[in-house]
Amino acid sequence: MKFSTLMTASLLALAAGPAVAQDKTINIAGFGASSGVVGIFGQNSGAAMAAAVEKINAEGGVTLADGSQASLVTTYYDDRCNAEEGISVLRRIASTDALVAVGPTCSNVAEPLFGILQAKVDDAGDTGLQFPVFTDVAIKGGLAGISEWVFRNTPSESTMYDSLFAWIRETHPDAKTIYGGVEEDFAHSRFTWYEVMRKAAENHGFEVVGEAQWLLNDTNFSNQARGMRRAEPDVVAISAHPFTTCGMLREMARQRVEPKVLVGLTSSSSLETLTGCANEAEGIIIPTSFAPVNEGAQSAAAAVVANGGQLDLHSAAAWENIMILKDVIEAAGIEGTDASREEDRRKIRDGLAALTEAPGLLGMNKRMPDGEAVKPYVFVDAENGKWEVLHNPGS
Amino acid sequence: MDFYLGLLQIIGVHTLLGLSAYVVLLTGQVSMAQAGFYAIGAYVAAMCTAMFGLHILPAIIVAGLVTAAIACVVGFPALRVKGLMLVVATLAFGEMVRLFFFNFSWQVERGGELIGPNSAEGFRAIRFFPENGWEIWHVTGFIWIVVAVVMGALWWIDNTRAGAVLRAVGHDETAAQSIGLNLTAVKVGAMTLGGLVAGMGGGIYAHTVTHIEHAVFGVLLATFAIAYPILGGLGSVFGTLIAVIFIQGFLVEGLRFLGDWRSLLFGALIVLAMNFRPTGLLGERMPRLFKRRGPDKLELKEAE
Repeated sequence: MKFSTLMTASLLALAAGPAVAQDKTINIAGFGASSGVVGIFGQNSGAAMAAAVEKINAEGGVTLADGSQASLVTTYYDDRCNAEEGISVLRRIASTDALVAVGPTCSNVAEPLFGILQAKVDDAGDTGLQFPVFTDVAIKGGLAGISEWVFRNTPSESTMYDSLFAWIRETHPDAKTIYGGVEEDFAHSRFTWYEVMRKAAENHGFEVVGEAQWLLNDTNFSNQARGMRRAEPDVVAISAHPFTTCGMLREMARQRVEPKVLVGLTSSSSLETLTGCANEAEGIIIPTSFAPVNEGAQSAAAAVVANGGQLDLHSAAAWENIMILKDVIEAAGIEGTDASREEDRRKIRDGLAALTEAPGLLGMNKRMPDGEAVKPYVFVDAENGKWEVLHNPGS
Repeated sequence: MDFYLGLLQIIGVHTLLGLSAYVVLLTGQVSMAQAGFYAIGAYVAAMCTAMFGLHILPAIIVAGLVTAAIACVVGFPALRVKGLMLVVATLAFGEMVRLFFFNFSWQVERGGELIGPNSAEGFRAIRFFPENGWEIWHVTGFIWIVVAVVMGALWWIDNTRAGAVLRAVGHDETAAQSIGLNLTAVKVGAMTLGGLVAGMGGGIYAHTVTHIEHAVFGVLLATFAIAYPILGGLGSVFGTLIAVIFIQGFLVEGLRFLGDWRSLLFGALIVLAMNFRPTGLLGERMPRLFKRRGPDKLELKEAE
């Protein structure tokens, strides 16, 4: 286990520039799936959090209410993408000195996890856990509404795919039909196909001529690819994570399924897809809220690589969350003592709730009143084993 | 403290799941249907509280009874097959239940929101405990009262003629039949009792996690259910409890820091435990401490 998230990235006195000796620490916990099939997401998030904490501490840490400086520390907990374990992990985090948690990875963990939190702040009749959670990865839409203690920095897939299919309609006027492939047993991929991709495609005049389903642990996709070949669609949209996306793409290549346009799931715009099937993924188009398109994004990506991870749209959110939390901690007047812990957690919650926008790696992220975010995005495609920016709708 | 109380909740509901498999295992039957029963209990209890405003106590009783009735119906055809065929049949039943809930959608409006099972999206907002002012220690206490009642009842059954009958069928079906025991009735009875316990456990589980979906109740959960009594031993109900504490408390929670290695060690420790204690951690016989004493003790004896 090389996973560096067992790290307690307590980078004390990496004194550079104006940094002063820091005795105080502010604990921001991370949690998610860092083992199992989707473990790479948690590993990348952990590395991104550690890198962001390292950067902040190197620049002097955070300023507390009394004007003193404190360094940030972070510990990453593994929930194995299991709801029961996720709840247990959050309870464990809440019993430590952590003031806020960043996570989880999986939407099927997020949903029950948010359910155990107090639904409405200051509702004396609701004994739910009162602890702020700032989600980086779990991307299924609409979950922040479950509790007012939940905030999300995940991109709006409905906005991104609506824009993507509008762009495909414009750039491929001859494309009329679409075939969907969905990883059926994963909350995010299932939701994204049925509630986001399919609706966006239909809204922009594409006729859905078929759907193929498979499971996260499947390794054989021949029947699904055969159905696709028979339908001869102009566009194929694959709503699946990198592991089965690659399996499906390899089978499509073997059966010579060659659509005019290939669309992928946001979570597949990662290094894992290129590592697993760069040749077969050539040309796949994916909307993403992260690409190393500016200096800040490039430097963040390098810092995360140095911490043993990769920066993609999910782990970029973890990096951004730490940066946003630094600003919130400084603006909210956090005291950082044992006695003020409950009050500090509440201040962070209120600080996050008050945000209307926050700086991100690609530009300003809009914070919605329901706790969700709308983030800048670009369309990338796989070209020669690399993700290249194909189109920037914001430009 | 909340963390440890939460862990106790997990151990409690998993103990109920394990005990549901324990009852069936006593008759020598390996049932993989317990996850399915657990799912039925979870959805029924959740519907009772979240959709129809029932209190948790009647809700889990209703869930247990509904699940027991279904287990009884399932028991008749399923228990006519033996060994591996029974494993396959009960596994198929569990998958059938899971897929049923995968497609099952029935929502009612409560407080301006649609509440209820929503097919693949699952069943959200099962928030009886927090909405009714139950603190975490109330919930933990409630769960362990239920666990204690169920364990006490099963322990009592184990020490009566009924328990001897269950074990007789489990040890040697032919011998049991030759002394006039109705095998089908015994096996279906055990399956029904197992369904009752699993249904209650599932009902409580749904309320501790507030959101349930079909994927939770898959083969892995069925495997855990059967692993608890096998690892703990069939000597008494306490074996299942010990195994749940070992797996959930030590392997899952205690070794969390090991990340990917945890799963590997998890398997290795179970293999080791089964090698050193092939009849389970507490063995096949009830520990002397828990045995009922006195002249009315019932034992199977060789026929004269």
